[in-house]
Amino acid sequence: MRTTCPYCGVGCQVEPEIQGGRILRVLAPDIPPNHGALCVKGRFGLDFPFSGKRLLYPMVREDRRQAFRRVSWDEALDYTASKLLAVLKRRGPEALAVFPSAKTTNEEVYLTQKLARALLFTNHVDHCSRLCHSSSTVALSRSLGGASMTNPIEDIWKTDLFLVVGSNTTETHPVIAAMIKKRVRQGAQMIVVDPRYTGMAEAATLWLRIRPGTDLFLLNAMARYILEEGLWDQGYVEERTEGFAEWQASLLPYTLEEAERITSVEKEKIALAARLYATTERAGAYWAMGVTQHTKGTATAQALVNLALLTGNVGKEGAGLNPLRGQNNVQGAGDMGALPDVLPGYLKVSDQAARKRFEALWGVELNPEPGLRMTEVFERIPEVEAIYLIGEDPVTSEPHQDHLKAKLEALPFLVVQDILENETTPFAHVVLPAASFLEKDGTFTNTDRRVQRIRKLLDPPGEARPDWWIVQELGKRLAQALGRPWTLYPGPEAIWEEVRRAIPEIMGGVTYRRLESEGVRWPCPQEDHPGEAVLFRERFNTPSGKARFFPVHFTPPAETPSEEYPFTLSTGRVLFHWHGGTLSRNSQLKEAYPELKVEVNPKDAQKLGIGDGEVIQVVSRRGRIRARAWVTDRTPEGVVYAPFHFAEAPANRLTLDALDPFSRIPEYKVAAVRLEKLD
Amino acid sequence: MRLKVNGHEAEVQEGTLLLEITDPPHLCYHPHAETRGLCRLCLVEVDGRLLPACTTQAQEGMEVRTDTEDLRILRRTLLEWLALTTDLSQAPSLLELLKAHQGRPQRWGSVSLSRREREPIRDNPFFLRDYAKCVNCRRCVDACGDGIMGVYALTLEGKGLMAHPTTPLDRPLPETPCVFCGNCVQVCPTGALRPLSMEV
Repeated sequence: MRTTCPYCGVGCQVEPEIQGGRILRVLAPDIPPNHGALCVKGRFGLDFPFSGKRLLYPMVREDRRQAFRRVSWDEALDYTASKLLAVLKRRGPEALAVFPSAKTTNEEVYLTQKLARALLFTNHVDHCSRLCHSSSTVALSRSLGGASMTNPIEDIWKTDLFLVVGSNTTETHPVIAAMIKKRVRQGAQMIVVDPRYTGMAEAATLWLRIRPGTDLFLLNAMARYILEEGLWDQGYVEERTEGFAEWQASLLPYTLEEAERITSVEKEKIALAARLYATTERAGAYWAMGVTQHTKGTATAQALVNLALLTGNVGKEGAGLNPLRGQNNVQGAGDMGALPDVLPGYLKVSDQAARKRFEALWGVELNPEPGLRMTEVFERIPEVEAIYLIGEDPVTSEPHQDHLKAKLEALPFLVVQDILENETTPFAHVVLPAASFLEKDGTFTNTDRRVQRIRKLLDPPGEARPDWWIVQELGKRLAQALGRPWTLYPGPEAIWEEVRRAIPEIMGGVTYRRLESEGVRWPCPQEDHPGEAVLFRERFNTPSGKARFFPVHFTPPAETPSEEYPFTLSTGRVLFHWHGGTLSRNSQLKEAYPELKVEVNPKDAQKLGIGDGEVIQVVSRRGRIRARAWVTDRTPEGVVYAPFHFAEAPANRLTLDALDPFSRIPEYKVAAVRLEKLD
Repeated sequence: MRLKVNGHEAEVQEGTLLLEITDPPHLCYHPHAETRGLCRLCLVEVDGRLLPACTTQAQEGMEVRTDTEDLRILRRTLLEWLALTTDLSQAPSLLELLKAHQGRPQRWGSVSLSRREREPIRDNPFFLRDYAKCVNCRRCVDACGDGIMGVYALTLEGKGLMAHPTTPLDRPLPETPCVFCGNCVQVCPTGALRPLSMEV
């Protein structure tokens, strides 16, 4: 039976063959978005639901010093409800936070944020996008009025120039990377901006090896050069944008000479990149964490938006602004309102008309104040007294791990709802075992806005239950105690029907019946609407209908190398693993990549006497980890690259919690470290 | 444009492959692997000439025959040859074709050079390369290379009957650029490449 891959945001369609309690093989049907292709994670990594580390029954403990006690669902849910209600009564909604999961379905995210907003009166609702594309979301929303890829994946076949910035696409979105590389073989050009020699850099027609964290300077310099050379799309800028003059003036300091000094890319190459991007008719920008995970993440994403507007590359086929989303349903989680400032459909919490719509639908009054963002919630412990955390492992994924652990130690009440034990489970008071993607129905929305079905192929193990059921049951108890309305649904499709009623302008035409054959892309207001492929063809989703330039300026990273910590640490991902590693390291994939390897440039290795494969220590101001050195010139001199999937050697013990002022994303991509030999 | 297929008039769009109109038996053709015209099973008769349907575009006024006695004999011989030299035990669709063509491989006696003796190669955590079952259709090579991935971890080595896909210089897969996407496994029509999870 067909379902959707639970790993990255490409949303590949898969057909796992299951026999005798294991996966025999995984084939892919010839339909969008992957047309039969898969990567190693989708092909060989779908067996984590069979892991021995599955959580099988609800567990509770009153105090962290006690051991967990197995309890019935009724007891676990009653206890959780009573604790949340007690905090609500004593400290008010500000002391509660609810984190829906971008790994769960749209229906589940919708219900979870509804529980937070309609029953607990809190907008402290957020999800892991805070740590990945929140910077893109801020920039795209304020400039264009929409936070997603503007163009569909199949536009790759119409693109003549790819500008890929800070995306290790061959490892993190392999199926999209294969398409882009094939298009390049057909004759398209590809500019890759990355400090590392990634698979994309290898396939590029022009590779700009920038110094980590200097993308913004490069992009602004490209814009300035395009203006100077008269290569910009004047008609487009006049007709479809605003804020141009002020932005243009802000580019003054970004000369090619200065850009070369800051980024270490030769100015001729920067000029060439700018010229290619501006003069190729269909030029599409693609980016990921290399842009966003900086203290200037929002500014860097904005610089890309500005550049695309300047060259008229938004609102047409084969071009656009395309942030590649990292989790199976991270697009959907945002769409469903798992954010502190917006309700489902990106309707602003602070907007009275938007609140009225949901107040009428849910029959309750809503909190008009935007809530705290995930990184801020953890900082606000113990004023925040209770967190309901679903499908997320912040101990592995948040920066500055030791600090976060201390915060969690101080949190009076933590509910963890997950399918597998992870590094955060030991901090919980209540553990609720959830069903995996193979064990429930629902929908995920992939990186190009395609809503796709997941289907129940198996029964959940032990007493595990689908997240929607758990949230609904908890909501029932909260609603009863609070005297608020709470609808009980027979299943995911009925919840989806409420979503369609809530945000008909984007989801009204998406029905389970239509999703039977293949996914449908939003916005899709009516059932006879095919779903919008390219956004903003006629107008932008802003009050004026025009896109807005925002001036952005280069600032150095929060922590720069020093004598004591002479290297720049950049964290990221590898092909065989996914995020906190909870899924991939409990699958067949662990065999292919069992332990952390840290990339060290040969010149640095030679200076320090470090051999390939030698176990070393990586040390920052915040902690140290042990790792095997992979001596390779994939990573430039002075830079150390560490994937963060490995709980026993967590790269995020080293990273710092310096945050972007707009998106509150941590600076995962730049920290100062030193390397120590073991003896 | 109009053409005749087995005596019947047909109207098709320009650029249509004969394979898409006539559906003869075929083996190496795969829409995404971009492999064309190797296995010869899909040969059809076009105005008296034999052409592979998977590489031939329909043209105005063509007369195409897909099921002449000569073609059946040719296909039968090709299938017998495959069955003679290759382990088709995990290729049920080929075995069915052989049966449908009344193939009797044993009528050729035995061949001295056979791929059947090749040992399966188990050099990675995900899938097996069992070239005793390989019919050299090249789908895996092309899926890995130009067709889908652009990785080029597979190539064709050897000559004549002993030619078979493998890695460059026969290195173990983990020492090649292989990314273990398994797209080669998905397009393999004979079970020569198969997931380890299918081995009991």
